[in-house]
Amino acid sequence: MAQAKSQNKILTGNRLRNGETVYYTAAGVWSPYVAEAKVATTPEEADALAKIGAAAYAANLVIDVNVIDVTPGGAANPAHIREVIRATGPTVRADLNKPVTPPQR
Amino acid sequence: MYIYDKFDHTITRERVAEFSQQVARRLTGELSEDQFRPLRLMNGLYLQLHAYMLRVAIPYGTLSSKQVRKLADIAKKYDRDYGHFTTRQNIQYNWIKLEQVPEILAELASVEMHANQTSGNCIRNVTADQFAGVAGDELEDPRIISEIIRQWSTFHPEFSFLPRKFKFAVTGAAKDRAAIQFHDIGIQVVKNDAGETGYAVYVGGGMGRTPVVAPLIKPFVARTELLSYLEACLRVYNLHGRRDNMYKARIKILVRDLGPAEYARQVEEMWPLTRAAGVDIEPAEEARIRAFFAPPPYEKIAEPVASFVDARAKTRAFAQWVQTNVHTHKVAGYGAVTISLKPIGGIPGDASSAQMHAIADLADTYSLGEVRVTHVQNLVLPNVKQADLFAVWQRLGEIGFAEANIGLVTDIIACPGLDYCSLANARSIPVAQQLSERFADLDRQHIIGPLQIKISGCINACGHHHAGHIGILGVDKAGQEFYQITLGGAGDETASIGTLLGPGFAGEDIVGAVDKVVNTYLELRQAPSETFIEAYRRVGATPFKESLYGRR
Ligand code: HEM
Ligand code: SF4
Repeated sequence: MAQAKSQNKILTGNRLRNGETVYYTAAGVWSPYVAEAKVATTPEEADALAKIGAAAYAANLVIDVNVIDVTPGGAANPAHIREVIRATGPTVRADLNKPVTPPQR
Repeated sequence: MYIYDKFDHTITRERVAEFSQQVARRLTGELSEDQFRPLRLMNGLYLQLHAYMLRVAIPYGTLSSKQVRKLADIAKKYDRDYGHFTTRQNIQYNWIKLEQVPEILAELASVEMHANQTSGNCIRNVTADQFAGVAGDELEDPRIISEIIRQWSTFHPEFSFLPRKFKFAVTGAAKDRAAIQFHDIGIQVVKNDAGETGYAVYVGGGMGRTPVVAPLIKPFVARTELLSYLEACLRVYNLHGRRDNMYKARIKILVRDLGPAEYARQVEEMWPLTRAAGVDIEPAEEARIRAFFAPPPYEKIAEPVASFVDARAKTRAFAQWVQTNVHTHKVAGYGAVTISLKPIGGIPGDASSAQMHAIADLADTYSLGEVRVTHVQNLVLPNVKQADLFAVWQRLGEIGFAEANIGLVTDIIACPGLDYCSLANARSIPVAQQLSERFADLDRQHIIGPLQIKISGCINACGHHHAGHIGILGVDKAGQEFYQITLGGAGDETASIGTLLGPGFAGEDIVGAVDKVVNTYLELRQAPSETFIEAYRRVGATPFKESLYGRR
């Protein structure tokens, strides 16, 4: 099934301290939950995300920083299966998976 | 088992201290990631999709029960309660926190373990036959020379920055259970015409994107001269290996480009220099290391063991398990048990901390305290009395590891693939799980007979797919997971590389395609005794291609 093309992008990396997969949010913090990621909808916004990522890498907050594609479905729907798995965990260990949004407290 | 001396303890502890400092400096930002990456890799620490991954070395796959308990405790305390045993006889933890790595390494050091040289362009963990010391067909315990190689290669200054990674495997028997011809250097213990024990040396094998079966470079090297010979092999590689191109940097490319004869000639030319430098082991030191691998105190037991014979006759499932999972022991009255880490539908090679603890207990009660890791991602209790086999089988059943499938179609190798690995193109584990479910019927597995399926999630071939009777390779086709099938690979003494059958299959079709391959074999085999690989070698790929893709 062909993926609908979209320009939407989000910024992701792994937290230096513990390796956790995290996403840059509109609030300017790094969240473990992909649905909280700030979505860039234009090339300019995507460039801005890339700059934020480079700065966070230089500040030793995150490593393996990348701007990745998401589908028109929104931040919770990365375009590539690799990123879907990164966002939620190994598909073979449902017990270890994390939700796309923060659990209700 | 080898026991650390003062020197081993010191260098291991010093390395933990050194890396702990480096981690601290990384966490404060004093070291950048670019500076730190090579340092962490030297200590077995990778970044995967979900977290850091720590690869712990298990030299030649031998563990004491105490070490198994420590591995279990680390899984529970610092990871998510499980570990993954790999084709390189190591264990990997998937959810490691950088800030806890110093603690973990200190805990490992307390049981004579470490993660040194499990990554990077150095000499990696030496692998060996899992039945070392207990197989009736071996000439000498391969762990003796493996340990000598381990000591020689540990922090070897000349070989810390090779053109590329470097892997050794050793077999003590003509029957190769360590896939030596798929390693950079494979060593086989042999006897010469004079009846002396020495080593045959194969150089330049490997998997990856360019699979090569290693040619025999030297049919016999005397026991006391092996290290200088290996040093010459490595030095020629270190000088002439391709550092300009990562894909051509392995020794297999050098040996192929020079030709095995020319490579062998250059090694011979180098050898007098390394010999003169005095790297060969002193006989007294050799004897000291050899003594660690002296046979444990076995009891004298007469065969047949009545209770064992009886249990086999009475309990069919036990008899089936004995047939596949118990290997003949060189000492009468004993058997070597392979613990299948391949429960139907399970994740190949994964074990929880509770399962590891149970296995450590079994080792203490029934196997003289020893456990082995196999390159097929199973564990072994090497020294079980036949009279105890029934009890061991029952206990393994309780922890879900008594599947009677060793060497059969559900004893599948699978690399972590896209569920964990940042280099992956496709998932491996779910394919293994679905195949395992499809072939779950044990009677059918026994009818199919010996058949090795090996799955890699990308061309790096960590899952040995090139050496699978049926190999499965995950590829990325326009963002979708696809799987190619190769047939006819083998990782034993008849080593061969599998042939690609044709276009790949989508995830939902791969299991059906493998089933077709198996059915085609069942139809064309000349007798039930003709194994899959024998039949494939007789008929070639064509009948299998026709059944998968139709006549063209
Ligand atoms: C962090 C995950 C891993 C990474 C990044 C990784 C990386 C690689 C790479 C890049 C190669 C190709 C080397 C070359 O052709 O020069 C390779 C080969 C190999 N790896 Fe891995 N690997 C990983 C996990 C594993 C695991 C889990 C196993 C064991 C199950 C394993 C065992 C092997 C083996 C047996 C080979 C092929 C032998 C060879 O030619 O070196 N690797 N790996
Ligand atoms: S074969 Fe590829 S996907 Fe599998 S572990 Fe190796 S690098 Fe990762």
